[in-house]
Amino acid sequence: MNVTVSFLGEDGPSLMSLEDMAMFRAIPTATIFYPSDGVSIEKAVELAASTKGVCYIRTSRPENSVIYSSNEDFHVGQAKVVYQSTEDKVTVVGAGITLHEAMAAADMLKKERIFIRVIDPFTIKPLDSKTIIENARQTRGRILTVEDHYYEGGLGEAVCSAVVNEQGFTLQRLAVAHVPRSGKPNELLKIYGIDREAICQAVRKMLSGSANAK
Amino acid sequence: MEDYHKPDQQTVQALRNIANRLRINCIKATTAAGSGYPTSCCSVAEIMSVLYFNTMKYRPEDPKNINNDRFVLSKGHAAPALYSMWMETGFLKESELFSLCQVETSLEGHPTPFQKQQFVDVATGSLGQGLGVACGMAYTGKYFDKSSYRVFCLLGDGEMSEGSVWEAMAFASYYQLDNLVAILDINRLGQSDAAPLQHHLDKYQRRCEAFGWHAIVVDGHSVEELCKALSQARHQPTAIIAKTTKGKGIPAAEDKMGWHGKPLPKDMADGVVKDLQARITSSSKRLYPATPVEDAPPVSLRNVRMPSAPSYKPGEKISTRKAYGMALAKLGRYNERVVVLDGDTNNFTYSEIFKNEHPNRFVECYIAQQNMVSVATGCAARDRNVVYASTLASFFTRAYDQLRMAAISESNIILCGSHCGLSIVFSSSPPSPRGP
Repeated sequence: MNVTVSFLGEDGPSLMSLEDMAMFRAIPTATIFYPSDGVSIEKAVELAASTKGVCYIRTSRPENSVIYSSNEDFHVGQAKVVYQSTEDKVTVVGAGITLHEAMAAADMLKKERIFIRVIDPFTIKPLDSKTIIENARQTRGRILTVEDHYYEGGLGEAVCSAVVNEQGFTLQRLAVAHVPRSGKPNELLKIYGIDREAICQAVRKMLSGSANAK
Repeated sequence: MEDYHKPDQQTVQALRNIANRLRINCIKATTAAGSGYPTSCCSVAEIMSVLYFNTMKYRPEDPKNINNDRFVLSKGHAAPALYSMWMETGFLKESELFSLCQVETSLEGHPTPFQKQQFVDVATGSLGQGLGVACGMAYTGKYFDKSSYRVFCLLGDGEMSEGSVWEAMAFASYYQLDNLVAILDINRLGQSDAAPLQHHLDKYQRRCEAFGWHAIVVDGHSVEELCKALSQARHQPTAIIAKTTKGKGIPAAEDKMGWHGKPLPKDMADGVVKDLQARITSSSKRLYPATPVEDAPPVSLRNVRMPSAPSYKPGEKISTRKAYGMALAKLGRYNERVVVLDGDTNNFTYSEIFKNEHPNRFVECYIAQQNMVSVATGCAARDRNVVYASTLASFFTRAYDQLRMAAISESNIILCGSHCGLSIVFSSSPPSPRGP
């Protein structure tokens, strides 16, 4: 892994925003855009201009690949399935950097003949529960969420609320569990368990758990 | 400077009558509701009367008219005083004022822009935020609309302890918002104690002047002094420091602790109202607000769209923060009412791309995020602009009350928080997978 050393990370948690999704989710009238690439952020900026109420757009520092073509249509409350096959066993929901980590995990797991579906929610609020539930039904109700945010009040809890009444659903969440310490850039995602390896591990665990249950 | 024309005695008496009718209305309404802040209303009676019937230029039948002078009641608990003025203009009916705070009513205990309250641009009640909003409106009037309307903001002395007020004071003088007037209702008493500066008006004056404002001390119950002070044009924002008495007109409560937020018991209210009514002389003069200058440009925010599809290729590498900046600049190219605010972080959030391309529509708010959110709300009021305000995501936590109030105000502001999460450590990311 080749990453540039950055003073921001080594300065510690005071600049890291790990509670902003929770904060904006609690604001009535709010729409939260969490786009993961250049195309979708441009669409988010445009949509926000005509969306009533307070809008929040969450942007990231790292450079990532553009994953959508420029004629892709985006709507508030509409998620995108960015990785799928007919043999998907777990639906993984990620956003921003964790969407890219989830896609990397999908590539890694493929080599072990384990297939996962990856969903980009695009807006955290309103959340596209319909798409998440429909896809999760196709993966035997198994959902894994992964977010660059504390556990409280973020993407994972939003998905929990959306699926709470679904029969036979199993939901695992990966998020930042503690106030982060200063650390080397290439260690932080790993230490806080939201990188591609953590996703692979969580998927394997969910599947072995199901297998044992049988 | 223009010569000041003193109002004639008939006008002065008519303004005094309006002030006393305000007192009567506020006392009756809060007693009927069983809640409210009559003593806080009584200290601003003359101020409101002069503002609404002598100083401000507006169309009373069309409160949201784009050319109207704007008024922000930062001390929102004096809402009945505001409603009383709109009753005086004929826009509100008496029956509406006396249904204050009830479930079916459209008049809330603190001003909100819901339903019939068209004369309210932003919700207030959480103190210390009105001046920042007024700054946004004044900035829009001076630099975006380039028109004649002025902005008036009424603050209490208790809320002058909020840092957000001083953020707004600094912003207003830095941007020379000479179309902005703040009236400070210095009635000496807060909620549970006296305000720290009590009636040391000289201290208020020195603080306002230190922040670059022109500051005038007046007797806040003298209609003549208020008329004169409010008519003077300046090249800086102006603070009218009004010495007032909390509970003025209610003998048992005047300047006394223990009456904040207490409606008068019915018997007492009846007695006080009777005395106040006796002071109202029959004046043959009917006062009408002056009509505004009609020079604000018509604005429609309906079709704010990108002129073309994104031009990225799959696999191309870009951070969402940089793509945000590029998207803003692109949107701003074809939509002239898109404006952008930032808190001294435009090189981090990439709003600098917009700033470099459209410098006249970029507003630097410096490291004062509470004020930035309030200014954004003010710029977005009356649908004058599509407003984007950005800084590092973590710094929006500082402005959570302002965000909460923006939602209650039904504002359409757009916030962008960059550097989210742990991933601020990376400038280039771990190797990415192939796309779908």
